[in-house]
Amino acid sequence: MSQEVEKYSKPTRILHWVHLVSFCILFLTGLVLFIPQLGFLAQDSVTRVIHRIGAVVFIIAPLIYIPMNWQATKRGIKEAFSWGASDIGWLKAAPRYYFSGDEKDMPPQGSMNTGQRLWWLIVLVSGAIFTITGLIMWFAKTSAPAAVLQWMVFIHDVAFILAGTMLLLHIYLGLFHPLMNEAWKAIYKGNISAEYAKKHHAKWYEEVAKSKEVKS
Amino acid sequence: MAKAILYDTTKCTACRACQVACKGWNELPAEVTTNRGTYENPADLSPTTWLKMKFREIEPGGKVRWLFTRRSCMHCTDAGCVKVCPSKALYHHELGFVAYNKDLCTGCGYCIEACPFDVPRSDRNLLTGIAKMDKCTLCTTPGLDRIAEGWEPACVKTCPTNALQYDDRDKLVAEGRKRVDSLRDAGWANANLYGENELGGLHVMYVLDDHPSVYELPVNPQISAATVAWQDAIQPLGWAVGGLTVLGLGLNYMVARANINREKEKKDVAGS
Ligand code: HEM
Ligand code: SF4
Repeated sequence: MSQEVEKYSKPTRILHWVHLVSFCILFLTGLVLFIPQLGFLAQDSVTRVIHRIGAVVFIIAPLIYIPMNWQATKRGIKEAFSWGASDIGWLKAAPRYYFSGDEKDMPPQGSMNTGQRLWWLIVLVSGAIFTITGLIMWFAKTSAPAAVLQWMVFIHDVAFILAGTMLLLHIYLGLFHPLMNEAWKAIYKGNISAEYAKKHHAKWYEEVAKSKEVKS
Repeated sequence: MAKAILYDTTKCTACRACQVACKGWNELPAEVTTNRGTYENPADLSPTTWLKMKFREIEPGGKVRWLFTRRSCMHCTDAGCVKVCPSKALYHHELGFVAYNKDLCTGCGYCIEACPFDVPRSDRNLLTGIAKMDKCTLCTTPGLDRIAEGWEPACVKTCPTNALQYDDRDKLVAEGRKRVDSLRDAGWANANLYGENELGGLHVMYVLDDHPSVYELPVNPQISAATVAWQDAIQPLGWAVGGLTVLGLGLNYMVARANINREKEKKDVAGS
């Protein structure tokens, strides 16, 4: 068997899947309100009740994870906000890479590449926006002024368009893109092959190889 | 041919027969209320009160005036509620009214926030979010549809002073203007026909003997900025961004797979 390295710990993977499932539920039940042609599915508040159940999971899951995995949380948040010159290089080289598999201009990446970090940042920011605007629309519905509630829908929709399209991209890259054949393994099983790590996350692999012995 | 209701405040005696007729025809139960020291009752519109008369006392120049106004859906041409309704439960009737298919209502409450006249009402469970909206349908509620029978709405039918009339909108505009002219001749300098042009033309118009603000009607009512930004900017943007993303991903899949397969073949050939 080839060498493997641990990419994501078990709690992190569980959080990822719980959050992804709730996010997809929120996405689909939200879509029903966004696309009038799907409106008939929302009859008698059904999808709106499901949206609320999804929202509870969406909000509670990270709140349980964070105190239990404080170090990983800190590391993750730091990563979401550290950007540098190599990210610009990545963004420039990415279209060629993702369309033709030409990787000669791709700068070496850390544990998350620029695109993954961009998505991660959007998850953090949009998650906060969804939660704040969503809770206002939910619980202040009969008390807040009409204009406030209307603008909350507006902001909720901006986050929806941004995070929703990025979600499609995320699922596509994780599951379908011909080159990303081990990314799903990292988040499903936790481990990826040393070879894949060297190739896709060179900077991170060096660190890991130095600090820990590589599992085989 | 658009139809409309014309309500003449100067002929209204606030007997509230219309209010009762509305309840009767639409099978809406009475509400238990308490005496608030006014004939105005109930205090507000509700899911079971789609029409109520509003009473107002003012003292211009020390002379008491008792003013009556109808509070109900104005059946706007540019209706904010129809614009925001995500399930198409609210829609424009062929005669111009804002009709309502209650089965389709999901209870989001967007219409309540979008209505410039604060008309739609719902009972809402704040925890589950379950709700159903209600408002005047101008007697087009399925099963209780007077209009389809060629009848007048229940409120108009019952009005003893003909303060309410139902007819072709054009005719009623002409009628309303005539009435306003005669009021002006009688010394009511601010008399006006409310609803002739507001929001693209309302299908419930009022003959007023004074400025709309005196009757606490919104002067120059508008669709809110948020409604416009949301429906005319964010909605199309969502469609464009979503569509392009799906297209882009599909394209990427086809191109990338073809390219990568070609590379592999090259390697295989070189290796063998
Ligand atoms: C974080 C927790 C969230 C809460 C508390 C929340 C709550 C709400 C509420 C209260 C509404 C208004 C409609 C209603 O009353 O049912 C709504 C609408 C909506 N939500 Fe959420 N939501 C959350 C997360 C999300 C997420 C993650 C997405 C999508 C990825 C999303 C997409 C939508 C969409 C598209 C709408 C419809 C907006 C429109 O009508 O244009 N929501 N949400
Ligand atoms: S008055 Fe309000 S509820 Fe009636 S049509 Fe106009 S916006 Fe809709």
